[in-house]
Amino acid sequence: MAEVCSPLRLPLIAGRKQPAAVTEDVCRPMLRPPSILWWAGFALAFSLLLMGVAAVGYQIATGVGVWGLNTTVGWAFDITNFVFWVGIGHAGTLISAILFLFRQKWRTSVNRSAEAMTLFAVMCAGIFPIIHTGRPWLAFWLFPYPNFRGPLWINFRSPLAWDAFAISTYFLISAVFWYIGLIPDLATIRDRLKPGLRQRLFAIFSLGWNGSYRVWRHYEVLYLLLAGLATPLVVSVHTIVSWDFATSVIPGWHATIFPPYFVAGAIFSGIAMVLTLMLVARKTMGLEDYITQRHVDAMCKLLLLTSGIVALAYATEFFTALYSGNPYEQFVFMNRAKGPFAWAYWTMVGCNVLIPQLLWFERVRRRLVIVFLLSLFINVGMWFERFVIIVTSLHRDFLPANWSGYTPTIYEIATLLGSFGLFFTCFLIFCRVLPVIAMGEVKAVLSHGNGKGGHA
Amino acid sequence: MENQYWRSLAEREQPAAQELEFDGPGNSRRDFLKAAGFVLAGTALSGCARAPVEKAIPHLDQPGGVIAGRAQFYASTCGACPAGCGLLAKVRDGRPIKLEGNPDQAISRGASCAVGQASLLGLYDSLRLKQPLAHGKPAAWEQVDREIAARLAEIRKAGGAVRYLSGTITSPTKLEMIGRFLAQFSDARHVMYDALSVSAILDAHEQTHGARILPHYRFAAADVIASFDADFLGTWISPVEFARDYASRRLPPEMSWHVQFEGRMSVTGSKADLRVKAAPDEILGRLERLAERIEANDPAGDELAARLLRARGRSLVVCGLNDLAAQVLTNHINHLLGNYGATLDIERPSLQRRGNDRALADLLAELQAGRVAALFIDGVNPAAELPAAPALDRAKLVVSFAGSVDETSQHAHYICPDHHYLESWADAEPVRGLISFTQPTIRPLNRTRAVIESLAVWVGQPASAYELIREHWKDRIDWDRALEKGCAEVNVAAQAPRWMGAKLQRRAPAAEGYTAVLYPAVGMLDGRHAGNPWLHELPDPITKTVWDNCALLSPKTAAALGVRDGDVVRIEGGVAVELPAVVQPGQHDRVIAVALGYGRKASERFANIGPRWTGSKPTVNENGRVGVNASPLLALEGGLLRYERCGVMIATTGRRIELASTQAHHTLSVPTHLAPPDGKVRPIIREITPEELGKPPEHAEHHEELWPDDHPYTGHRWGMAVDLNACTGCSACVIACQAENNTPVVGKDEMRRRRGMHWIRIDRYYSGPPDDVRVAHQPMMCQQCDHAPCETVCPTLATVHSDEGLNQQVYNRCVGTRYCANNCPYKARRFNWFNYPSNDKLANLVLNPDVTVRSRGVMEKCTFCVQRIQEAKIEAKRLGVPLKDGDIRVACEQSCPADAIVFGDLNDPNSRASRLAQDARQYRVLEELNVRPAVHYLKVIRNRNGKGGQDHG
Repeated sequence: MAEVCSPLRLPLIAGRKQPAAVTEDVCRPMLRPPSILWWAGFALAFSLLLMGVAAVGYQIATGVGVWGLNTTVGWAFDITNFVFWVGIGHAGTLISAILFLFRQKWRTSVNRSAEAMTLFAVMCAGIFPIIHTGRPWLAFWLFPYPNFRGPLWINFRSPLAWDAFAISTYFLISAVFWYIGLIPDLATIRDRLKPGLRQRLFAIFSLGWNGSYRVWRHYEVLYLLLAGLATPLVVSVHTIVSWDFATSVIPGWHATIFPPYFVAGAIFSGIAMVLTLMLVARKTMGLEDYITQRHVDAMCKLLLLTSGIVALAYATEFFTALYSGNPYEQFVFMNRAKGPFAWAYWTMVGCNVLIPQLLWFERVRRRLVIVFLLSLFINVGMWFERFVIIVTSLHRDFLPANWSGYTPTIYEIATLLGSFGLFFTCFLIFCRVLPVIAMGEVKAVLSHGNGKGGHA
Repeated sequence: MENQYWRSLAEREQPAAQELEFDGPGNSRRDFLKAAGFVLAGTALSGCARAPVEKAIPHLDQPGGVIAGRAQFYASTCGACPAGCGLLAKVRDGRPIKLEGNPDQAISRGASCAVGQASLLGLYDSLRLKQPLAHGKPAAWEQVDREIAARLAEIRKAGGAVRYLSGTITSPTKLEMIGRFLAQFSDARHVMYDALSVSAILDAHEQTHGARILPHYRFAAADVIASFDADFLGTWISPVEFARDYASRRLPPEMSWHVQFEGRMSVTGSKADLRVKAAPDEILGRLERLAERIEANDPAGDELAARLLRARGRSLVVCGLNDLAAQVLTNHINHLLGNYGATLDIERPSLQRRGNDRALADLLAELQAGRVAALFIDGVNPAAELPAAPALDRAKLVVSFAGSVDETSQHAHYICPDHHYLESWADAEPVRGLISFTQPTIRPLNRTRAVIESLAVWVGQPASAYELIREHWKDRIDWDRALEKGCAEVNVAAQAPRWMGAKLQRRAPAAEGYTAVLYPAVGMLDGRHAGNPWLHELPDPITKTVWDNCALLSPKTAAALGVRDGDVVRIEGGVAVELPAVVQPGQHDRVIAVALGYGRKASERFANIGPRWTGSKPTVNENGRVGVNASPLLALEGGLLRYERCGVMIATTGRRIELASTQAHHTLSVPTHLAPPDGKVRPIIREITPEELGKPPEHAEHHEELWPDDHPYTGHRWGMAVDLNACTGCSACVIACQAENNTPVVGKDEMRRRRGMHWIRIDRYYSGPPDDVRVAHQPMMCQQCDHAPCETVCPTLATVHSDEGLNQQVYNRCVGTRYCANNCPYKARRFNWFNYPSNDKLANLVLNPDVTVRSRGVMEKCTFCVQRIQEAKIEAKRLGVPLKDGDIRVACEQSCPADAIVFGDLNDPNSRASRLAQDARQYRVLEELNVRPAVHYLKVIRNRNGKGGQDHG
């Protein structure tokens, strides 16, 4: 059904662009030499990555003991980082798949980079379950594969085994979805490049795209199907990640609220990360016409919604503990709010619940600098949410004799920074070699709100 | 008929070639196997070189000769302290790998202590001297003997004084040899002293009974026990024996009543029914008042006096102060109560402490005056143990028998290293008439020589230790039988000394100011094992600190001084000692308690122990040693070593030491500001009074079973019962487990990071107000849950359930996600954060070949000694008999002096474990989680009111 157009509806893309201008705008940064700013960002990100590689190399060579873990606190930064990065990834899938199915046309400006972010975030996340093991060279044992040891299978009851499936599935689907979406744009670039290696590569990866009606039709059907496939993943992946905790017996972990709580938190953190990246990209790559105030506004509202869900979850956890009459459960939450890690808990509450309330005000949402800072706070807060769940629950559990503390070592901090290094290195390379905005899709919504009728 | 296949005509013509083709590789494989067999046999034979000498007789009815892979047990006697516990040394392939108590010997009765268990590691100590030293340089025995003989001849000619300084020697043969050796000289004397002296008890008996004897205390016969600062369950005289006796009387209806007066918190105090805080200077006054009431036969409202008077002849008063007046009063009270002959045996007295502090003081004065020509030092380290180092440089000849270079032997002209006791023939007479034998379990690893052999050489009649001992006991005992059993009784025509009256003397009233109390720590005692890493890493039963000694302060004192755990304080009283403070609930406000035995030269070796990485910190302190030697605070006054120094000053230094502790000061009720709304106490330790015992249990909750057939357990079902009432926290089980299961030592930094590797730990909980705490010790190990939370979460199936109820850890399959450890409610799992196995080839000989040495990155935990279960099952199968209850004794259970741990088959209704699992006191820790642990705990009995529930006065 054709969309009803209203002159009152704001345009999705500003500047009354023609399709050719879109191509020009998006391809321009790719085809010119990188700026000083890019080089500076890349140098920083790559340095962090190298530092992380060194830290992980030392850790694998020496032992997990170089981290600050102990007998009582068996996971801390490692799994916190894992859950954090998986969560970051969720916004990409939400934007590209769910918003696609809901016909949210504003998504076209951000979906490409959001999906790229998903991929890189899942890559970052995937590293942690491997390196956190005591014998990472044997981490492939987490996958079932035919073998001559019996055969010996994995424990299908273990949430960590489910994790292995969930994360690998998520990565595969996201990668395929992203690549399929890239094909028309790859062809566009192919056609604009001078003959050479780069042009040949683009030619190979654009799979002979010729822009014909048939090709477009097949493409759109496939894209729709993949969106349908990816949609359940938005819910399932973080649900499964939350089961790592929810299926355990540890007070503070053993909670049925975890799946929805984690999914909402994942989207919350993911959107915040998308905002962080987009606000920078828009400024530095001259994409103000594509990523407009309207996009920022929409994402801010999503933040507000998910922040509300997360806040409700925090409150519900306390209520459940109080209502349960279970002294261990009650203690865990008292200890979170008032114990040795209270600073982490209140950082989390401040960043995830209190600060996002500013987004109720349109004046705040219009001040992009403030929105940018807010998104950083939410990133920090969501990292601390996972830290609080993991460390405060573990460090003081059932038997007081086991109670201990936790202090990260430089290797854990370096590994966390290294994961950011990997993420930004990948993202910066992506900005240079691939179109950050889905040109094909944006062109389809150019007329939106411009009073010239829309496309289905 | 079989078809012949051929590939070519040529092959068909030459069937030999075909055979060759098939046989060729086969032959080479056989050759390989043959060669491998030879190599294996060769290895085994070369291993036999360390087999015990053929004269030793294995325990019980085992066939002679070593069978590869099968352990043999040799009865022996523990040489780790003078208590003389009987041991069975488990020898595998010619090397001792585990020590167990000898059930046939009266002192240990099958149990052992942490120090005894750990003394095994001392055998494989690479720092032991490989040969004698002459003037600090390695020398041959012939040279040393020649030189010493020459020097002795000079001294004999000149009539110089010869002194033989030793610790308590219980060996009759050795005493005889020393006597023969000293008889060669005109002025010779043997001086015995104990670093942990009870000289005052002997002196007091000399006064009251006319004989310098130490009574043999019989705690099993006592209905009422009053201990004045005697830590008889932890470190006092013969703790294994006393703990066994004590525990045998701690169950209703025959439950004894125990009151403990003490200034610091000891393990004995932690078990007392009534614990009264008393500084050492107050104890004399308390004893005086008690004596008056007993004399008057009028309790005057004093509960203890009333109880003692009711239990005449069935009570026991002991005093741990090395103070003559206090000991004379103690004797007086015991005499008035008629306890001599009942709970104190002086007819067959104990010989476990024979030191004479007065003789020591005389010797030190002689040394100082330069009147000693030759000094022989055997088994003691006076330079470290005494308040001031003796003036060894003034003696013309100093000969030490120390096994390694220590504070004293480094000043000796000659070191003639003695064997480790597991290498030597020896005898001991811990109690008059009880002879306990030590058999060598391995040929001496180094060119060391038994002291009695050295003395025999110097007497001019060289003989082996075996010959000397055999000669000594010839005609008196059945040698073979005695060796097999490990001990023998000999008749001693002895008559108990008679009471001669006590001269009671009043002493100055209680002192003001702080009193420094120097005490032996459960693991370190007098410091003779300060080179033993197992003992340094053993958490103190009360403070739970490792790898350090501390100044223990009461919470009030610490608050007054503004001191927190780890703040270095300076204790001054003539001399100054700087130590990190630890706040100890239950301690007297005026008492500063400091453990002895630390800060030894032997601990310098630990500088590099534990994993090395960029963040690791050294195990030793700034002084390069573990802890600080507190001996300078001792005093040798009035012919007695004083372990209390009154009127000391304490000040903060502003420095801090990061202490390593396996458990912080947690009480069962969580910190008040974190307490949940209903303020419930966690039901981890449960207590019961004797009156409640008869009543049916309060809550017999029945859980509906969701998976009834999950684990059918058709055969055995292994389980355990742990009696919290019996457990004294002595930690013998911890070291026994470490020796049995090859658990590594990780060093102070790793312990500080809370990464200890002990498979069994003893959780210590406090309850009650901080100034009157009650203590509970809870041995905690893998609970082998039926619904094990660890099993469901392991992604690689590295931890699985056996059909006999064991939760098994498959090291090979473990990738180390640590998920299992996170999900363990008991936190009983231990992770190999680094590669811990050491490259010390000698120390690695202690490893139990039945237990895998774990590499880094894998999880481990208590296995219920699965290797022992398997061994017993295989043996039963081989013999074709069913497995009996008690055939399997797991390492912790075996060592426990209090019989607090019982392992057995819960499917066998008659096994001890399953009967205890039905006991009225039974509960399981965290059973509300429905993980269904296989370890059943028995509640602590709080006998505050004693039998009959009378009110205390």
